[in-house]
Amino acid sequence: MRILERGARRVLTALDATATRLYGWAWNPVHQTGTVAMAMLAVLIVTGLYLVMFYRVGSPAASVARLAADPWLGSWVRSLHRYASDLFVVAAAVHAFRMFAQSRSWGPRAVAWLSGLVAFAAGVACAWTGFVMAWDTFGERLAREGSRLLDVLPIFSEPLSRIFAGDGPVPSAFFFVNLFVHIALPLGMAVALWLHVSRVARPVLLPPKRLLWGIIGTLTAASVVLPAPLGEPANAFALGRTTPTDLIVAWWLPLSERLTAGEVWGAMIVIALVAVSVPRVMRRPREGRLAPSVVDPRLCTGCNQCPQDCPWEAITMVPREDDRPTLLAQVDPERCVSCGLCAGSCAPMGVGPPGRSGRDQLAAARSALDVGRVDGLPIVAICCEQVPRGHAAELRGRGVFVHSVSCVGNLHSSVIELFVRQGATGVIVFGCPPRDCVSREGPKWLHERVFNDREAELQPRVDRRRVRIATAAPGDQAGTVAALGSFARELAALERPDRAGSATFELACDAVASAEPAS
Amino acid sequence: MIEPRRFLRWTWATVASVAAVFVLTLASGAAVSYHRAGEARLRLSWSARPERIESCRAVSREQLEREEEHMRQRVECEGRFATYALRVEADGRRVIESVVRGAGLRHDRPVYLLRDFAIPSGVRHVRVVFARRERKGDEAALATPAPGAESDTGLFAGRAEREAVERARRRRAAIPATLVLDTVMTFAPGRVIVITFDAERRALEVLDQPRQPR
Repeated sequence: MRILERGARRVLTALDATATRLYGWAWNPVHQTGTVAMAMLAVLIVTGLYLVMFYRVGSPAASVARLAADPWLGSWVRSLHRYASDLFVVAAAVHAFRMFAQSRSWGPRAVAWLSGLVAFAAGVACAWTGFVMAWDTFGERLAREGSRLLDVLPIFSEPLSRIFAGDGPVPSAFFFVNLFVHIALPLGMAVALWLHVSRVARPVLLPPKRLLWGIIGTLTAASVVLPAPLGEPANAFALGRTTPTDLIVAWWLPLSERLTAGEVWGAMIVIALVAVSVPRVMRRPREGRLAPSVVDPRLCTGCNQCPQDCPWEAITMVPREDDRPTLLAQVDPERCVSCGLCAGSCAPMGVGPPGRSGRDQLAAARSALDVGRVDGLPIVAICCEQVPRGHAAELRGRGVFVHSVSCVGNLHSSVIELFVRQGATGVIVFGCPPRDCVSREGPKWLHERVFNDREAELQPRVDRRRVRIATAAPGDQAGTVAALGSFARELAALERPDRAGSATFELACDAVASAEPAS
Repeated sequence: MIEPRRFLRWTWATVASVAAVFVLTLASGAAVSYHRAGEARLRLSWSARPERIESCRAVSREQLEREEEHMRQRVECEGRFATYALRVEADGRRVIESVVRGAGLRHDRPVYLLRDFAIPSGVRHVRVVFARRERKGDEAALATPAPGAESDTGLFAGRAEREAVERARRRRAAIPATLVLDTVMTFAPGRVIVITFDAERRALEVLDQPRQPR
């Protein structure tokens, strides 16, 4: 599985890089697969509500054919519904692949992984029932194959398959039940999706507006120009030379028809077991880099900032056991994913994963300064671990002092101040594209802390002109270099900074009067 | 004025988007051939109750009197449901030969038959035989139900006749001991011919188009 994960990561990086080159990181659709899938669900609900008004369970094929023949609205709404369902399946599959490749499928994220699988399976099954509703040759084939598979289970007293044999009309009750399932499955998906995002704070459900409307507009244009095909009405007495098959939701159908029902069930069970076992197989010991955050009760001032910043709702404030009148932050290790964003939010540096708290970061920066002799260097680039190595090498090649942190959201603002006060001309922080942050909200919180006074803010004494936040995305090395160049030009216009000597830092939240001395 | 690099990127992005959507639409309705050209199909499809193979005995008056009045059944039968041998031949060549049983764990549910065979198109001599495998049981007692006039009074009047009628109805509803269809059919390419059991005529029937409502 680890080999698979590494391979998947390489594929994903290449895919990301290609998409970034084409669309830029801000509108890279590969970063947005989860939200694109959600957006397609919304499109499916809206178009589905329109379509269901014209659907007749008594004459399914004729009612869908009437819709398809309506050039003004029916044809393209039906096509948009179909293409949106295809894109939903593609986006959700890529999203799952992305989570797997980025090792975001286990531990506290296992609930999201499993509920996502359920939602995905329900979505695909819903798409199948949608095709059956149209009752063309493809819908009939899906129904026939589905019933063949269901007939081996001891569920129905009479085999379902005989409904489609041709020795009698297909009962309207079948189409009614199919319609019911088609509508009920999205309701089940809603529950699964609620679970999917239940462990994250501030879930983002839609892509950026430009990307959202771009996708909907493109699909609508495709629906008008290339309407989704509708096969001949189902006929039990005709085989049909070819069947217009949706290979995105039913790629398995041509293969499945050649296998016995037992073999198909066996394959499905194996695939399901592999998918469900991913969180267990991929899990790693929660130690070292993956150890959950811890709180130092002596340093916690009870300011309530880390619970607000935690993207996983893993921190709560609880009453203290000593005589101090404040609350105490408490980390739930079952929910903590070790992103370290809490370390960047804590002015007194009292919380964070072992080895990555604010104090650890300061120690690492001081150590880097001793080794790298930053004094006199023009610019320091603080890079997130996710920044491609090539970008970091390019920065070094341009004489920049590169300092690495696990995530820019993890970065304590005091580290930036330390570099500035140690004489760096400027500090540029390179993070992931905001919608591609493995820690979810790293670039957002960093920006707030540096420029908008969010706790733990960069102190006012630091000249903001000497600090820049930029994005380094795979596939956009030119963008990284351009961001550095632009920053360097602005710095050149400023006077040379004085080295302020050893820095002392304010280690308390503004909201709390008490301050702890720096160690 | 748009700078050339940006224009080029926009162009590539547009081309890639159009190509991606085109691939999506192609994959959404790919014409897939599931059958070989010139192939036709023969489908057997019916459901009917299997015959019951029973040994029956008439219950004596003394035994009947030991039962509550509503429990007095004059003929008691024990047995099982018949199984059938299915054999299909096309132009004298065996297509399938199998044993068909009633559905359910105890095979006491109706026989549900659904078989599909690929047949090369053309004129074919088809012979279907669906025959009971077991010999008929001992049903001698059914012919002479023991009269029980004294318990056929009041609420239970005419019960002996009703029992006889019910047994006869069940026999009629069951599949005949042997069903044979021996005919010449024309299999057009890409067409399906369905052979089914007509419960009213108690015979196999050939359908090449949906049955008209009677």
